[in-house]
Amino acid sequence: MRLVPEDKQAEETPNATGSESALESADLSAGYGDRQVLEQLSLSIERGSITALVGPNGSGKSTMLKALARMLHPRHGAVYLGGRDIARLPTREVARRLAILPQAPTAPEELTVAELVERGRYPHVGPLRLFSDADRSAIARALTATQMTEFRARPLDSLSGGERQRAWIALALAQETPILLLDEPTTYLDVGHQFEVLDLVRQLNIEQGMTIVLVLHDLNQAARFSHRMVVFEEGHIVADGSPGDVLTPKMLARVFNVRAHVVPHPEDGSPVCLPYGLAGVDGVENGALTGLPVSVPEAQASG
Amino acid sequence: MSVTRASPAAPVSPPSAPRLEVSPAARRFPVLLVGGLIIVAVLVVLHVGVGPVYLSPRQVVLALIGHPEIPYQHTIVVELRLPRALIALAAGAMLALAGAILQSIMRNPLAEPEMTGSVAGAILVTVLWVGFGESGVVPAVWYMPLVALAGGVAAGLVVYVLTWRGQSQPGRLILTGLLVSAILRSGASIVLLVHQAAIGSVMLWLIGSLNGRVWSDWGILWPWALPTLLLGLASARWANVLQLGDETAASLGLRVEWARAALLFLAVALAAGAVAIVGGIAFLGLVAPHLARRVTGADARRVFPLSMVIGAGILVGADIVAQVALPGIQLPVGAVVAVLGAPFFLYLLRRRLR
Repeated sequence: MRLVPEDKQAEETPNATGSESALESADLSAGYGDRQVLEQLSLSIERGSITALVGPNGSGKSTMLKALARMLHPRHGAVYLGGRDIARLPTREVARRLAILPQAPTAPEELTVAELVERGRYPHVGPLRLFSDADRSAIARALTATQMTEFRARPLDSLSGGERQRAWIALALAQETPILLLDEPTTYLDVGHQFEVLDLVRQLNIEQGMTIVLVLHDLNQAARFSHRMVVFEEGHIVADGSPGDVLTPKMLARVFNVRAHVVPHPEDGSPVCLPYGLAGVDGVENGALTGLPVSVPEAQASG
Repeated sequence: MSVTRASPAAPVSPPSAPRLEVSPAARRFPVLLVGGLIIVAVLVVLHVGVGPVYLSPRQVVLALIGHPEIPYQHTIVVELRLPRALIALAAGAMLALAGAILQSIMRNPLAEPEMTGSVAGAILVTVLWVGFGESGVVPAVWYMPLVALAGGVAAGLVVYVLTWRGQSQPGRLILTGLLVSAILRSGASIVLLVHQAAIGSVMLWLIGSLNGRVWSDWGILWPWALPTLLLGLASARWANVLQLGDETAASLGLRVEWARAALLFLAVALAAGAVAIVGGIAFLGLVAPHLARRVTGADARRVFPLSMVIGAGILVGADIVAQVALPGIQLPVGAVVAVLGAPFFLYLLRRRLR
């Protein structure tokens, strides 16, 4: 049951503003306190695509996402949203064009799903204006797209992890932005709920033409659900391209320090990596594929 | 049949303008607000009736609408007792709203005005003024409340600046506020010990008292109370967005630091304004918003107004108790609120730790 209305279809979004890249970083350096995390990164996010940022812990992928969303001010370089320097755009205008779901968002205990999702209209209504019909339908669409309509009166506390994550995504959808950034949206979810979230991401991309950038820990999910994978290592981009080009044994050995086989997924041919040991450690015979996919579901090579 | 229903009923399909306020807490809100206002009105009538000369609720109402049973009742009600009731209403609402704002921006249900340093700041400055000035009493001089207000706001600013590390941090704010409050309060104690003559008049005010409040006090309070209360109510949506955490708030287009500083300043201004007139009434700013959230959920657009109503009701009710509990003695209303509020605070802690 797809209730997303026709007027939010893909066609209008891609060419809305002339430039091809929805979001772009140029020569971007950023960090926290004394620690520089990103070193002069240039990354251009194509309109209407799903881009997965991957890499070991502390490689700078989440930092990149925050910098792209203007949550972190660049030390050097700039981020461009639709061709304009994001640091110079009014905060609420940025929020009408780009939504980000942080990694571990918090809300008051008693807050209900509807009350949460309603707040996604803040960029449009500001502190004092009343909700219009347009606002109410945006909220309803967000609830429908995430299949949260029936939960709308429930407190967040009473939801499962997957439901809660969908409620937060609904908040971002109510913002009605063409760009959505997600920071590890599947963390702490069991595998079924992970797919729930990722299927939703794919559906938003296909049906609404949303440009999506997400940080993912699981390489196989990144390969399966993204058009493009960008691999981070120590603040640099070390690989960038289609999942088939990026997810290779060589990259896995170099960046994640694991030996792995990469095989096409029997279902759809997307590349799947099967790590079987540390790259630096001897004793594991390269090529000795046991055939038992024991280590497959959690390809979180670096933990 | 429902087909002929005149009102524009919400269509079944979600995309066009459905009902959103569906949680039971949201539906209860209008009833709670109106019910609360009625209870507060009744409390005010009882409050005005209490005193050396008891007046029945009927006599009070008649006097209030300008047709007193006996002419002197009009004098008692309107000239002597009404200002005290009005001050209790406004101060209760201000302390409660200050607490509600703080609890939402600190994302801590145990936050209260004391934690901004503003209450202690107002107290220290007042004690200094009384100790070293010539008046010797609180708050007999018209500008006394303004002095207290300045102290409260200054202390609030000190706490905020001490907390600043490139960005403000709610958790650190609470600890810093409590420490600064402790320092300022011991400062006030030292001043009082040095100038013992001032203790008598200051003590009542320290605990929080409505004794002897007259129209001139109201004249000082309302120009401060009205704008701060209205701004506080208007800030509810900011508070709602801030409740979701700094990152989400920023991603929703809120300038987080500005909004938090503005809300914090509002809470300080509300608390200091109330303290200046009625003194250091504790627990009200903690308890009232808690009760409001308990019955109406987390949405600041409901919690803020309901907290005000509950806070006003508690202070008026406590002041009735303060006047009638011990025959011949007027207790400080702050003591009554504390006696009732402290056990409630313990109960909250127990519930949270469970």
